[in-house]
Amino acid sequence: MSTRPDRVVSLRELAAGIPDGSHVALAGFAITRNAVAFAHELIRAGTSGLSVTQVFSGMETDLLVAGGAVDRLTYASGSLDRFGLLHAVNRGVATGRLELIEYSGLALALRLHAGALGLPFVTTRSMLGSDLLAPLVAAGQVEQIESPFDGAPCLALPPLRPDFSVVHVDVADRAGNAVVDGPLWSIPETARASRVALLVAEEIVDVGELDPSRVTIPGSLVHAVAHVPRGGHPTAVYGRYDYDAAHLRSYVAAAGEGVEEHDAYLDRFVRGVSTFDEYLALAAA
Amino acid sequence: MSADERWTGGEMLAVAGSLQVHDGDVAVVGLGLPQMAALLAQRTHAPAARLLLEIGVFEPMPTEPSAGIADPRMWRGATAFGTTLEVLGVMAHGGRVSLGLLGALQVDQWGSFNTTEVETDGRRRRFRGSGGGNDISSNAGRIVIVMTHQARKFAETLTFLTSPGRQVGGRSRADLGLPGEGTCAVVTDRCVIALDDHGATLESVHPGEHPDAVLADTPIPLAVPDGGPKETPAPTAAQLAFIRNELDPNGWYTG
Repeated sequence: MSTRPDRVVSLRELAAGIPDGSHVALAGFAITRNAVAFAHELIRAGTSGLSVTQVFSGMETDLLVAGGAVDRLTYASGSLDRFGLLHAVNRGVATGRLELIEYSGLALALRLHAGALGLPFVTTRSMLGSDLLAPLVAAGQVEQIESPFDGAPCLALPPLRPDFSVVHVDVADRAGNAVVDGPLWSIPETARASRVALLVAEEIVDVGELDPSRVTIPGSLVHAVAHVPRGGHPTAVYGRYDYDAAHLRSYVAAAGEGVEEHDAYLDRFVRGVSTFDEYLALAAA
Repeated sequence: MSADERWTGGEMLAVAGSLQVHDGDVAVVGLGLPQMAALLAQRTHAPAARLLLEIGVFEPMPTEPSAGIADPRMWRGATAFGTTLEVLGVMAHGGRVSLGLLGALQVDQWGSFNTTEVETDGRRRRFRGSGGGNDISSNAGRIVIVMTHQARKFAETLTFLTSPGRQVGGRSRADLGLPGEGTCAVVTDRCVIALDDHGATLESVHPGEHPDAVLADTPIPLAVPDGGPKETPAPTAAQLAFIRNELDPNGWYTG
């Protein structure tokens, strides 16, 4: 009789497995499906020196940068949609505290795709002629080439293999097979490219309860999963809960005000509590 | 701003932008004003236009206002959910997108544009970055930019060229290795600028605007047609009612 692995761990164990200086790929998009509970836990753990990759960066990355956990960010864009910009990220870039490496959305998703498949490189025509290109070429991250088949100008991009990825999913079974409802942006590539794929799940079920045809991320790729209901708050999780507009507005206001105000937000909502449930209670008060 | 008190500048912009969408277009749509223009087109003259969002949403028909591309309200009525590799890759890079409808911080006379950072008083201020904007402008059949009109948003040399237009540094798109014609129009709350491979032309000014005043606030090489620019068609009562009652009742984008 075969047994299935049990990959369920606590959120604290999940975060404690990320050493300082790791390369972590995050998978939220602006104000939707951010692994906010995970970001809080990393900040409380005092993790530092991270290199973060997030194609369409949002709340989780801005929190981590504000919390001093990030030295380098690789992204294609960052915002909180209509609520505002990523103030911690933009401030970090302006002061030079945060190194920023930027791509187009497709180019970065393709780098993750190449990492996932173990391809030697991937090619695209995106970014040709743009100012995105020169810094990437100078950093040795992109090379302009001609197609060996028809001579067409194109770019060669190396694979990207983050040490870890963290995806906030709807349902996972205890072995880490996971369902993500709604649009998927770069979630599959992000999970597949990393050496260690971690999940935070709204719901955990027993192995065998999920319809395999609904599984977005196979457990074979996943190393651990933590159960955190409402763990995406204040961002939206499709079909489960809306973004918390009032909380997002107050976050952006504090973040935009300056470093001290942003830090006061973290002191109150992140460092001032010991669990995500405590944060949720505080945010609802 | 609006030169006519019967509508706001944002409403005029949404209407003029919507007219750039052809019935049957497959269009990738950006955050904010492009959403307004695309959804208005979909509900008026272009019901067969198919909209795509880089987040991985196919053909949404939302019925309430949303905070952006990542707001699940914007995904309602979609026919399929997928990935960015499908929308920006299979659809746009694969040559299946006829129109990109996008916003910009700054645009030049060839329709190249900046969504990354602006410089004021010698200090650079970062905004969103490319997201899928560069991929859409690099790969779609044509591009329409919709943005509010301020003189500082027009420049012969961009602070940051996020997305290429019809040519870059004197090199054509074909020479750069890019398909499509590039930017064919820049629509603002004051005018419509048409672009072709000869440059930019002040095609029409919105009702109540004087061409000379618009030209003075558009500091890029801009041709004027013989006989002067046309007047942009005024918003119809039906267009305004749709914007005010359904599309943007809170005036988030068009107020």
